[in-house]
Amino acid sequence: MSASIDIHHLTKRFGALTVLDDISLAIEDGEFVVFLGPSGCGKSTLLRMIAGLEAVNEGEIALGGRRIDTLPPGERGVAMVFQSYALYPHMTVRQNMAFGLENVGTPRDEIARRTDAAAKVLEIDHLLERKPQMLSGGQRQRVAIGRAIVKEPRAFLFDEPLSNLDAALRGRTRLELAQLHQRLGTTMIFVTHDQVEAMTLADRIVVMHDRRIEQIGTPMEIYQRPATKFVAGFVGAPAMSMLPLSGVTRGPLGARLEVAGVGHIDSAVTLPEGFATQGASIGIRAEDTRPDAGADTGADRGTGAGPDMNTGSNTGSGPNTGPGSLPLTVDVIERLGDRTLLHGHLPDGTVLVAQDTGRSQVAPGQVVPVGVDPHAVHVFDAAGRAHHAGEVR
Amino acid sequence: MSGTAPTHGHSRTLFWAAAALSVLMFLPMAWVLVLSVTENEALSRGTEAAFSGPYTLKNYTDIAGNSGVFRWFANSLVVAVGQTIGVLILASLAGYAFGRLEWPGRRLVFVIVLFGLAVPEQAVIIPRHQIFSTLNLHNTYIALILPGLSLPFGVFLMTQFFRAIPPEIDEAAALDNASRWRIFWKVLLPLTLPAQATLGIFTFLFAWNDYWWPLISATDKDMYTLTVGIASSQVNFAQTEGLGFLAAQAVFAALPVLIVYIIFQKHVVTAVSGGAVK
Ligand SMILES: Nc1ncnc2c1ncn2[C@@H]1O[C@H](COP(=O)(O)OP(=O)(O)OP(=O)(O)O)[C@@H](O)[C@H]1O
Ligand SMILES: [Mg+2]
Repeated sequence: MSASIDIHHLTKRFGALTVLDDISLAIEDGEFVVFLGPSGCGKSTLLRMIAGLEAVNEGEIALGGRRIDTLPPGERGVAMVFQSYALYPHMTVRQNMAFGLENVGTPRDEIARRTDAAAKVLEIDHLLERKPQMLSGGQRQRVAIGRAIVKEPRAFLFDEPLSNLDAALRGRTRLELAQLHQRLGTTMIFVTHDQVEAMTLADRIVVMHDRRIEQIGTPMEIYQRPATKFVAGFVGAPAMSMLPLSGVTRGPLGARLEVAGVGHIDSAVTLPEGFATQGASIGIRAEDTRPDAGADTGADRGTGAGPDMNTGSNTGSGPNTGPGSLPLTVDVIERLGDRTLLHGHLPDGTVLVAQDTGRSQVAPGQVVPVGVDPHAVHVFDAAGRAHHAGEVR
Repeated sequence: MSGTAPTHGHSRTLFWAAAALSVLMFLPMAWVLVLSVTENEALSRGTEAAFSGPYTLKNYTDIAGNSGVFRWFANSLVVAVGQTIGVLILASLAGYAFGRLEWPGRRLVFVIVLFGLAVPEQAVIIPRHQIFSTLNLHNTYIALILPGLSLPFGVFLMTQFFRAIPPEIDEAAALDNASRWRIFWKVLLPLTLPAQATLGIFTFLFAWNDYWWPLISATDKDMYTLTVGIASSQVNFAQTEGLGFLAAQAVFAALPVLIVYIIFQKHVVTAVSGGAVK
């Protein structure tokens, strides 16, 4: 029943305002795709176009190989869960779930069977005779999902369905959604501006920004090899630090990146011949830094920061703590328990966040030499296009 | 507020003020009620007879015998019910069109409808009379019902109500494969029930109490509404003769309004307080 979704050169305008510009995207059958992006970037609009709630100005949408962009919403075979849930207030939970099936003339016993089954899975079977006003936010949310499930759609569309839930419930529901996807195996598109939701749920993330798709990739691709400066800054917390690039020379592993008035960073990035440094920047994630506070921080960090750090330690200590270090004046210390974030600035005033161990001894005001994993350095040219080191690790 | 014992000084004052007002409002009604069971003979010598009697139910039995009161009552019922149903249908459809659908000229037409709020009946009564005269419709139910159907207030109220329903509800229904008619009928209309009740009650009360237009349009005694009929039987302008009978007719005329009010009391309160009471 599930189906692939193909979007070809889609453009959407509201009057003179273009909100989506030449979007193309192929979603595979059974895939869980997340649209991620800042507020107003057009995520909901794109989803609503797939659902048939917004007209298409240019381009095509196909579901399972069949063009659907001219069909009315009800005939597209998709189900949508709204941020506000949009339950019918005057109908009971059972009626809410049955309405879509009644409209297509599904036999009564079949409706009852599907409704009961969905209610059981979502653990709302004791609420079937209640009206939405008598339900908690989390229960309403489940009913909204149940209403989608009973239709056995070819694709599910979710528009920020978790944003009205409290943090604990959001985490739990996120997990349940992942399980639901595993069980049903139906194509799902999920819109959010919460990167944790995106990272945990998605097979692939579509990062959107300013009317366009910035990058499509698996969560780890997006995180480790952001295609643009925007993606790099948008995904990951704390946000990637950006240093102005003033010059490039040859280093031991790849490009040696100069930061005027600060020093240089040895990277494993290979930059094209004649790379223009004007307007270019260096991106460094906190977890790829090695602040040398004098204490034995090295051993801890290797295990704490995950597998992506392996290469850093494999390549030896040379660029990490040697003369390539950045002198960071620590301004604020943010203790997260398992790690400590050092927010500070470099001699030229550039802001940098470094990551130390949970038991960091660094104090505000202290100047700490910070090394950087050469394989985790990102370089962005003036247009924002990224250059990474080697292969995805 | 109702029923709960006042506890604070402030609400106590409010309670007594409300109680005093209620008594004040009730007095004339009680007066008419007493008059209606007092003998006409005694009343013609002076209305103080209401305090001394003799009392009788003859005035009420006279209604049954005399006059066209039952006929007028039936006329009023047809007109009021007809107008109420008509207004509800028209206002709901118009409200849906103005509050929900996109169509060219919508704003302009809506403004024109709202202008209707500013036009007093007095300003249009003569042309209206002439239209019905030309169409030869006077002394018909159609003439009595039709003018009341153009109720800009009703359209305005329903438009506001439809606008207040989140558009996601329609969208969810559209995704649920509901036709536009089904969305209107099964999803949106039930959500406007409070507004329907409010509008229905007011339309009914207004139609029931309307006097001027029926007075102009219904010249045939058989087509009188209750208001016109009762007024017409009030031949004695000094109101010294048949006062008890007149009062009995008034009580009889007020009955349906009272019944409607008792049934829909909650909605009337909501309507009057502007929806603040939920
Ligand atoms: N009906 C509309 N008429 C005009 N402009 C609209 C309409 N709907 C959306 N827009 C505009 O289109 C752009 C994209 O809106 P959209 O709702 O898709 O953003 P979004 O990515 O979902 O944002 P959010 O995360 O805040 O929900 C915004 O600039 C918005 O103002
Ligand atoms: Mg949105």
